[in-house]
Amino acid sequence: MNLLEIKDISKIYGSVAALQNVSLSVEQGEWLAIMGPSGSGKSTMMNIIGCMDKPTGGSVFLDGVDISKESAKNLTIMRRDKIGLIFQQFHLINYLTALENVMVAQYYHSLPDEKEALAALERVGLKDRAKHLPSQLSGGEQQRVCIARALINYPMLILADEPTGNLDETNEKIVLDILTQLHKEGSTIIVVTHDPEVADEAQRTVVLEHGRVARIVKGNNVKGADI
Amino acid sequence: MFWRMVKGALFRQKGKMLMIAVTIALGASLATAMLNVMLDVGDKVNQELKTYGANINVVPKETALLDDLYGVGEAGAPIKYLKESELGNIKTIFWAFNIVDFAPYLETNARLKLSDNEIKLVGTWFNHHLDLPTGEALNTGAINMKNWWDVSGDWLSDDDAGYAMIGSLLAAQNNISVDDVVLIETPTRAKELTVKGIFNSGSDEDEQIYVTLATAQDLSGQAGVVNRVEVSALTTPDNELSRRAAQNPKSLSIKEWETWYCTAYVSAICYQISEVITDSVAKPIRQVAESEGEILNKTQLLMLLITILSLVGSALGISNLVTANVMERSREIGLLKAIGADNAPVSFLILTEIFITGIVGGVGGYFMGLGFAQIIGQSVFGAAINIKPMVIPLVAVLLSIVILVGSIPSIRLLLSLRPAEVLHGR
Amino acid sequence: MITGSLLRRRSRMFVALLAVAVGATILSGLVTIYYDIPRQMGKEFRAYGANLIFVPSQNGSTISRIAVENASALIHGNMLGITPYRYESGKINEQPFMAAGTDMEGVKKTSPYWFVTGEWPTDDKSVLIGQKVADLIRLSTGSVFTFSGTDSAGTTFNRDYTVSGIVQTGGSEEEFIFMSIDELDNAMGTSNEIDVVECSVSAGEAELQNSADQINESVDGITARIVRRVAESEGTVLTKLQALVYLVTVVVLLLTMICVATTMMAVVIERRREIGLKKALGASNKSIIADFLGEGIFLGGCGGLLGSALGFAFAQAVSMNVFGRSISIQPLLIPITFVVSVAVTGIACMIPVKNAADVDPAIVLRGE
Repeated sequence: MNLLEIKDISKIYGSVAALQNVSLSVEQGEWLAIMGPSGSGKSTMMNIIGCMDKPTGGSVFLDGVDISKESAKNLTIMRRDKIGLIFQQFHLINYLTALENVMVAQYYHSLPDEKEALAALERVGLKDRAKHLPSQLSGGEQQRVCIARALINYPMLILADEPTGNLDETNEKIVLDILTQLHKEGSTIIVVTHDPEVADEAQRTVVLEHGRVARIVKGNNVKGADI
Repeated sequence: MFWRMVKGALFRQKGKMLMIAVTIALGASLATAMLNVMLDVGDKVNQELKTYGANINVVPKETALLDDLYGVGEAGAPIKYLKESELGNIKTIFWAFNIVDFAPYLETNARLKLSDNEIKLVGTWFNHHLDLPTGEALNTGAINMKNWWDVSGDWLSDDDAGYAMIGSLLAAQNNISVDDVVLIETPTRAKELTVKGIFNSGSDEDEQIYVTLATAQDLSGQAGVVNRVEVSALTTPDNELSRRAAQNPKSLSIKEWETWYCTAYVSAICYQISEVITDSVAKPIRQVAESEGEILNKTQLLMLLITILSLVGSALGISNLVTANVMERSREIGLLKAIGADNAPVSFLILTEIFITGIVGGVGGYFMGLGFAQIIGQSVFGAAINIKPMVIPLVAVLLSIVILVGSIPSIRLLLSLRPAEVLHGR
Repeated sequence: MITGSLLRRRSRMFVALLAVAVGATILSGLVTIYYDIPRQMGKEFRAYGANLIFVPSQNGSTISRIAVENASALIHGNMLGITPYRYESGKINEQPFMAAGTDMEGVKKTSPYWFVTGEWPTDDKSVLIGQKVADLIRLSTGSVFTFSGTDSAGTTFNRDYTVSGIVQTGGSEEEFIFMSIDELDNAMGTSNEIDVVECSVSAGEAELQNSADQINESVDGITARIVRRVAESEGTVLTKLQALVYLVTVVVLLLTMICVATTMMAVVIERRREIGLKKALGASNKSIIADFLGEGIFLGGCGGLLGSALGFAFAQAVSMNVFGRSISIQPLLIPITFVVSVAVTGIACMIPVKNAADVDPAIVLRGE
């Protein structure tokens, strides 16, 4: 069974259709990129996959559960248990240290465990920055804290929204290396991006245009492809 | 972890939280000061109103009309008196604490030798020292009771046996000035008195001579007695119950009677005074008693409304700021929801932070408010405002309501938003 | 540009406007009450009764009506009531009593503290009697009694009266029989013989003294005397009350000003990003400060105007509730409230805007 099964979903805001009849399936352990120009519906797609929004039509099965039919409360539980979110804006809580920002995710999931959180930070190379506040960290470091927070509860699916959008080249590389490492370890990753470099790292890239799947590119052929 | 988050929020954004705490402290201090002043203003104004003099008159029971004033009296009617030795009892009644001052008067007709005019001689206490049966001591008398008198020269003291104070009209009619000696004659005795002071009271007292009680008793030949006693007491404004009791205390049920007896209504105090002075009737002087109640009520109502206005003002200020603070945290709330936090723990977290800030601000504000109340008390009434412990829960409840009103709607609003909207800044 | 930014951020600005308006309401409301207290409370104090009396001067034994009219014309301040009294002695059941002829409507005004059981007399044949008189000859409301006396010509008269009410005052009034002055004049066969006139004047002590001096100087046959006990005590209590409201006003104002300032600061601090962005786009510190100040002043002005209207409404409500009378407006208060509101919001905006403007735009924009 596929981890994620999207069947013919649409999302309509008023008279504007953000997504129209999109279908997609993602296997366990796959690394998928969703690409497209602004307004192509990739953010909407990401919100629906991330259980933060519901489609107006169609159904989405995550780990066998149809999340398009679930209540807001159950969606919260789904997010907590099955998804790790990585944001373009990092969204760290500015009055908590790097370590505490990771522990917040543990706290709302189950029980905070400082050792485990520290280990997660070590994995992204930030063990020595654990006691720093977000304002004392560089953009790349903040994004790595964000990744550590996304990983801490061993999610089935890591969902990254423009993870490198606010980063310079050096940090972009570091972040991509971490994602690659995670993928090697068996994590399922979905990256929403408009950067072909990032999409190239994925096994498969779905290109959205005007709310529809325009085409699917296999492997690292995105850069050369005509998008 | 919960407390780590709270700690982080409180200590790592000191500026914001301090501002909320300061605003709450200001609001709380305002509430504390106003409530304390409001609850005490009755007592304070009541004290001030004592400048109007006595509000209770104690006379012997079945006294003859004070007819001699108008010269229509029939001779031979026995005049009744009160015993001077019993006067201290007034300070032993249930509401003894509310008795501010009292002064006895013994009036007798006399003749001023100078002009051969029939005049009224009044003996009283001026600043009499009294040792009460309860072991307390008290100084009371006309100097306190007649504080509106405009005296040129000096007040008498209670051992000034050979001295007198003369009303301004009488003095003017007879060209008497301070330090003159006048000869006073009564049917039985005569005495020379030195004028120590001339007073202007703006009433018929201006045609009378005031001497010490002992002198008057000596001149009239009535030892150890007085005609009447004026009492100045702090009273509670009348209500339906006290009016009914004033008509006839026996018409009350036992419970009503107890309530009445244990409330400082002027009628209750009168009743208690007549219980301790043999054969006496104590009556409220309506002119003073009634007006006092009226003015007291108005002042309290006025303060109440001003208090409400300032409470509403600070409540709006605080809830404004709290709302602003919560709205500012939309992204944080969105994030917590995105990483899987339920609504309840998020609300609880934010409320805890604000309440801790509120408690810090509230406690600080309470003490600040006590300071404000004392400044008001000292500069207006020259006396400390009584601190009512009742204000503490009142302020606490008010603050809690204000904080809840300020934060809950905005928290609910933010929670109702989908995290996606907040996080993408839509 | 300024209105645009106000309109777009409607809700947040509404919060700030509310804060300013509440502050301005308190300012204008309390100051109005403060100024009106002597007038309003002064009227309440008239419950104590007459504060000025006319008595015959040395050479006369009674006062004529003309003299009373002349004298009352000289009184400064608001005359609330003026009541003449004529005292004559007579007998009921061969016991001596004093009858007082007066004007019942006047008594209600100059002696509002009288407690009457029964009704006030409405015609010449019904009278009020004092409690002591009632006790002594066992009269109750509705009883009829005969009052006999000797008129000025020396002839004896007997007249029947109905008791319409019994007066309790706790004072010497309880020993009198009160009837209309015309009736007493008729019985006595003479008019124009008033013994005492009580006046209740809403005026300060100095004003009262002035009136009295003037009357004593220019009206023959009348000595005007201030009832010191009432006049002086009233002064004392009123001064204290006004001082109380004054202090309370100052404290409340100070605190609300600080509240307004903190709210404005919160609103401005929230917009640090906007300041950073403007700076990044090349705005000078000066123009940023000017922008925010313009907004602040606009808000302060609106809040001030709204507040002065609300404040007046509040003062009016208080006055109606407490005193049952409307309050007098202080027109000067409107510009004052306006200026104070503008100044407070302006200053409250300045501090955080200046701080924010000094910050490096990059830090402001990056810092989440």
